[in-house]
Amino acid sequence: MNKLLLTIVAILISAITYGQSTVTGKVIEKGNNESLPGVSIIIKGTLKGVTTDFDGNFSIDGVQENDVLEFSFMGFVTQSVTFSGQTSLDITLAPDSKVLDDIVVTALNIKRDKASLGYSVSQLDGDEVNVVKSNNIMEGLSGKVSGLQISTGNTGVDGSSRILLRGISTIEGSNRPLVVIDGVPMSGGSGGVSMWGGTDSGDALSDINPDDVASMSVLKGAGASAAYGSLGMHGVILITTKSGTKKDGIGVSFGSNFTVTQIALTPDLQNEYGTGAFGSFAPIGSDGFPNLDYPYAWSYGPKMQGQPYTNWLGEQDTYTAQGDPYKEFYQTGTSFTNSVAFQGTTDKSSFRVSLTDQRSEGILKGNTLKKQTYGLRASHKLTDKFSVDGKITYVKSKVENRPSLAESSANSSYILSVKPADVRLADAANNSENMYGEEQFWNSDIWMTNPYWVADHINNFSDKDRFQGMFSAKLDITKDFWITARTGIDYNVLESSGYTDRGLRRSASKMGLYNNSISNSTLWDSNILATYKTELGKFNLTGSLGANYRESFSSLISVRGQDSKANGLYRISNYLNTFSNDSYYDKLVYSYYGLGTMSFSNYLYLDVTIRNDHSSALPKENNSYWYHSENLSLLFTDLLNISSNVFNRGKIRASYAKVGNDTGPYRTESTYYFSQYPTLDYPVASIPSTLPSSTLRPEITHSWEIGTELSFFNSRLNFDMTYYQSNSIDQIMSIPITGSTGYASKVINAGSVSSKGFEMQINGTAIETADFRWDIGVTYTKSSSVVDELAEGLQGIVLNRLWTVSVEARPGEEFGGIYGNDFLRNKLGEKLITDGGQAQRGERVKLGSMNPDFFGGITNNFTYKNLSLRTLISYQVGGNFYSHGRYYRMLFGTDARSLEGRENGIIVDGINENTGNANTVAVSSMSKNVSDLYMNEITKDYILDASNVKLKEVVLTYTIPKSILSKGFIQGISISAVGRDLLFIYNAAGDIDPQSSYNSSPTGVALEHSSLPSTRSYGVDLKLNF
Amino acid sequence: MKNIQIISKSILTILGLGFLLSSCQARLDELRENPNAINEVDDASLFASGARALFLETAEESVNRFSGHHAHYFVVSGDVRKPDLYGDGFDTYYEDMLYVIYGGISNEGVIKNIEEVLQITTTEGTKNEVRYAMADVIGVMGFAVLTDEFGEIPYTEGGKGKTENILTPKYDTQEFIYTDLINRLTADIEVLKTLNADNGYFKTDFIYNSDSDKWVRFANSVRLRLAMRIRNANEDLSRATVIKCLQEPLMEYPIHDAFMIQTESDKIAWNELKGDGEPLLKVSDMYVNMMSNTNDPRLHVFVAKDNSGGYSGQLNGLTDEEFGKSNIKERSAMGDVLTQEYSKLYIMTAAETWLLRAEAALAYGTGENANDNYRAGIRTSMEQWDVAETDIVDFLATSIADLSDPMNDEEQIGNQLWLALTPDYFQGWCSIRRTGYPKIAQRTDPKLDKGVTDGYVPERFKYSSFELSTNGTNTEEAISRQGPNLITTPLWWSKKNNN
Repeated sequence: MNKLLLTIVAILISAITYGQSTVTGKVIEKGNNESLPGVSIIIKGTLKGVTTDFDGNFSIDGVQENDVLEFSFMGFVTQSVTFSGQTSLDITLAPDSKVLDDIVVTALNIKRDKASLGYSVSQLDGDEVNVVKSNNIMEGLSGKVSGLQISTGNTGVDGSSRILLRGISTIEGSNRPLVVIDGVPMSGGSGGVSMWGGTDSGDALSDINPDDVASMSVLKGAGASAAYGSLGMHGVILITTKSGTKKDGIGVSFGSNFTVTQIALTPDLQNEYGTGAFGSFAPIGSDGFPNLDYPYAWSYGPKMQGQPYTNWLGEQDTYTAQGDPYKEFYQTGTSFTNSVAFQGTTDKSSFRVSLTDQRSEGILKGNTLKKQTYGLRASHKLTDKFSVDGKITYVKSKVENRPSLAESSANSSYILSVKPADVRLADAANNSENMYGEEQFWNSDIWMTNPYWVADHINNFSDKDRFQGMFSAKLDITKDFWITARTGIDYNVLESSGYTDRGLRRSASKMGLYNNSISNSTLWDSNILATYKTELGKFNLTGSLGANYRESFSSLISVRGQDSKANGLYRISNYLNTFSNDSYYDKLVYSYYGLGTMSFSNYLYLDVTIRNDHSSALPKENNSYWYHSENLSLLFTDLLNISSNVFNRGKIRASYAKVGNDTGPYRTESTYYFSQYPTLDYPVASIPSTLPSSTLRPEITHSWEIGTELSFFNSRLNFDMTYYQSNSIDQIMSIPITGSTGYASKVINAGSVSSKGFEMQINGTAIETADFRWDIGVTYTKSSSVVDELAEGLQGIVLNRLWTVSVEARPGEEFGGIYGNDFLRNKLGEKLITDGGQAQRGERVKLGSMNPDFFGGITNNFTYKNLSLRTLISYQVGGNFYSHGRYYRMLFGTDARSLEGRENGIIVDGINENTGNANTVAVSSMSKNVSDLYMNEITKDYILDASNVKLKEVVLTYTIPKSILSKGFIQGISISAVGRDLLFIYNAAGDIDPQSSYNSSPTGVALEHSSLPSTRSYGVDLKLNF
Repeated sequence: MKNIQIISKSILTILGLGFLLSSCQARLDELRENPNAINEVDDASLFASGARALFLETAEESVNRFSGHHAHYFVVSGDVRKPDLYGDGFDTYYEDMLYVIYGGISNEGVIKNIEEVLQITTTEGTKNEVRYAMADVIGVMGFAVLTDEFGEIPYTEGGKGKTENILTPKYDTQEFIYTDLINRLTADIEVLKTLNADNGYFKTDFIYNSDSDKWVRFANSVRLRLAMRIRNANEDLSRATVIKCLQEPLMEYPIHDAFMIQTESDKIAWNELKGDGEPLLKVSDMYVNMMSNTNDPRLHVFVAKDNSGGYSGQLNGLTDEEFGKSNIKERSAMGDVLTQEYSKLYIMTAAETWLLRAEAALAYGTGENANDNYRAGIRTSMEQWDVAETDIVDFLATSIADLSDPMNDEEQIGNQLWLALTPDYFQGWCSIRRTGYPKIAQRTDPKLDKGVTDGYVPERFKYSSFELSTNGTNTEEAISRQGPNLITTPLWWSKKNNN
């Protein structure tokens, strides 16, 4: 509409003006009225042309009557205006719907034409994350962006996500991309627990409100992110939040989303054999109770045929299977999100205020999340040359009863998975306490806890207040020279508390436990940037100089109490023994940087960045380090003028970057602490078990990438491909050392990791008619990282560990090999079997790798009139994970697979170690599992294939046509039916979700331990605009 | 022109800003220091840390799970019982047991703290040879535990990750280690004679509160233990050292005992394990029988009454199937005095010292009366546990309390050592491995699990896979000298010359 109107106006004005004139004006983007820099304006039929400046302004002289001015910009519909004397011309360019994501937000929030970039960038619309909602916004990116690997384990309503961009490049550290919101970096790392359990406290990303997101840009290589310094070395995800945009109507929008979450995948349990061992019931003690210690607490009892027996409560009972414990114990979760936003724009200012309320309850009863997000964004042009922009976001979230995970005795899904089938959950619920108020359980293992006792007596709470503020100002000194300054703060207060009531069977903890901690963390980031732009013939040059100051500090105060005086009071004064702790961390990095962009004739672009950091985490002598990056983009179709309808655009790009990195604070000096022993009248010193290094140097990553973007058939088919390599050397890491040194690890510069990969994104329109359209998007990523070397003499670093299985970095091997005990084998690889028919423990070897061969997603988008259907299928081929859950279920005899050989035994496939003949001796299912798993800890059979194809998202949206609404107050309504994680189309691991780890660190995905059941969600989403 | 002016002004502004940022350098330096810790510490608190770790860590994992089962003192139900089956699938425990005393697991630990004390007390300005000697005795005991667990260990280079930056320490032979430990103690004893309230530790010497006499007796008794331990391996050194030990005062009465009461942490290991519920910690039938057969009054101290009011022990080594049928609930638990919150942890006692002197008198003809020493050992042990004088007198009147009993004298002494070492179960296992007493028969009954040792008591712990991966070359070298990395490979000192 705007375009048409302007054209008409232009034509009208042209009728009354004559002669050669200078035309000035501004080009803005349709829809959001933001200025468009770099738009090319030529007088048709001549070589004469200019481009718009950073603010979208242009000035072109020598225009004659009836000249046709052509405004063109990659990704927008080209617009022609016939000159008819008008001196001022404002043009609105509409995005070309055929070309997706062509204007992208790049580092330091500079909007760029994607064609001009020498590195790989993917941009997604806010709709991708705010229709199918999940608590963690990153889940919405999964499968949609090549190079980006995202998984979220089953750790409750506020779980953390593992995020990798282009794989792993550093041995230590999170390897997570930096998240930048409106130019301000956000603090936060990965979450989850160790194998010993605990709860996943989530990560910072769940504080990003999907409803406020306008777009997300994923800057993949170091070339793209060098401007952010070391924080950006693993790539950057830039999030631009919604600012006020001019809309029809009064500018109110309302969104509502309701989702239910159901159990989708649980382990296959057997229902034929109950409590007992060796095919018999547990012996009955003189007290009349069965002796339910191991092995009799396992599920290797007699076949369940309804026979009478004494149950765990010492009562006469019928010995039968009691049904699916998961269905009985877990509930259907719900999530209800409502948001409202008010926005408006004038020619000088814009504002948006928003409020979002989310209430969720997970499948574990009481695992709730309440979150409110308040947002205010405003910008104003004070003068023609000076404008300001500010933002405040406040997130208040409260999470209760985060589920205990992994080996934790309170991990309900672990306890349920090893529960003998004859044990009635109702009995466990009704008998969770004895008459003394102490926990009761169906076996005598004190490292397990009755899940109903847990529900009543163990709880945890976390209250988080997150405040993000941003203020920026821009001063245009001349048309070609401007300064921007921005400061932002991400301030986080987290209060976490938890208690365990008196009465847990473990005697040390029978006394009752309590903990409470308050942590504060602040990331304060300020920068100033001066930019000058000039033209030299066909060259356009832009140069910027800037400085950055980034300080992050945090403090923690915690108290812990043991031995409660009274029940039900969870305050530190109620505990006899108390311990307290406080600490403070501070780190500062300040930097200078320069950016330069040179373009030639709109088909050749060169970007360079240079940056120098000074870090307080490094020793004084080595605390300064440099980065640089060079990025080249060539639109060869324009250079060679070979653009046609079949092959309408082609671009090649190349990028090189060197990025430095520091480390966490306080790793360079040796220190002492004091142990806290309130009962001692003398001090007891302690020495940290990590040895510091006073000679740390910054670590360095060199990386390069080449890529191409090709468009065919009038942009109906688009390819974007990248090949990259990086090599990180001198890595700062704390290497494990033998404890016989007196220390567990030492911080050193050592080792190098190289990674390489290939990424591809294909977007195409398969069918396009007036009413119907079918778009397909495919992403494909293949990446691998190899540990080239470690510190001299170091044979490997254990990165993560679950009982006897470890994820290791070993020199010459790929990063992320999974190691564990294999069977004892002969040279032919056959198992060597004892005369007793048992397999034996062999070498500790590499049993698998956590890295997929390749992965990606397939998006299908069908639009018919006002109805659209979007589906996302994610896929992963290759990669392994270790399931300790299945290992336990096999040992306990609850897994369906443990039914093999119950009656007639199993003849293990292998060669008798003495005779050399094939083994013929059968062993019972129980004795095999006890020998393999309990005595020998052979994990080979529990390294599972992680390959899977998953229907991740389905969205069916109906937008009520404007024609129906036109007379009303309502400007737009869309209603969607949404589904997430609906089903595994293929899952090599069968009854275990390959992405159900308990930890979101880089190696977390390699280890699974009795995770909560995987879930599927569906619901409805409603969006209303007034 | 105007533009150029503006540009140059702006450049100046940026330069000014740069200057501002350069003052950031000072702030960088300020932030480099860790506000949560200190850079220097007094050696007294390091000594306290090392000495406390010696008590706590020798009574930790190894004792709980391994020594107590291997030496047949008790049986614990559940997963804790695993070592009783003579298996060797304990990689992570082996790892912990090797490292915990070095300090390579937590912030505390014997060797690393003592190593720093030794450094501070030999540095100009903080030099103190008495404190050095006190710390050295603790360090010697830490290394002795380590080598008695594994055989060869990193010794000369062990625990020096910080002081000498040795990250892959070489192993030393047990013979070398023992010889050096004895030499160190010999030197320390001379210095400890000069200990007084001014040159020792105030308060942080929670063991003897700077009592020179007690420190000398303690160090000398430890030397006697080490000397007797190498009796089968290097008799000459053993004998010569014993003679030296007898020339200095030794521990004679329970007031000389080296013990600690843990008050500050949750509970001592026994207490936590014993509990009211699972797992069940029950004394062994061998332990109960040894005392009940001889009417030893310590039975009522070390063993609690079972459910039927008597004393009954659990058989060690039952297979899973037999164990399930064994009705362990009915057996006697450990005596309260051993398992209370404030029960004492011992690292050296007068009772053990007397019994070692008895053995030395028999073996080396030291001139002391073996029987007198033997009886003094029994008496001292009973006094240590507050046995009534009449009961002591009664027991001393029985033939078992006299070496003239027809039973083999060495066996009598070995049996009494085993009882007297309660609750230092690790030393009990060492004593059995060296003396062979009390006799623990090879497991041949099908009801008993033979484990990987063919039914014999394990001789050592294995080097863990973590040690093999982080210190591989040195560990392999040790294995090539010492013999296969198995729990059946005997230590240097336990290789009995005669059988």
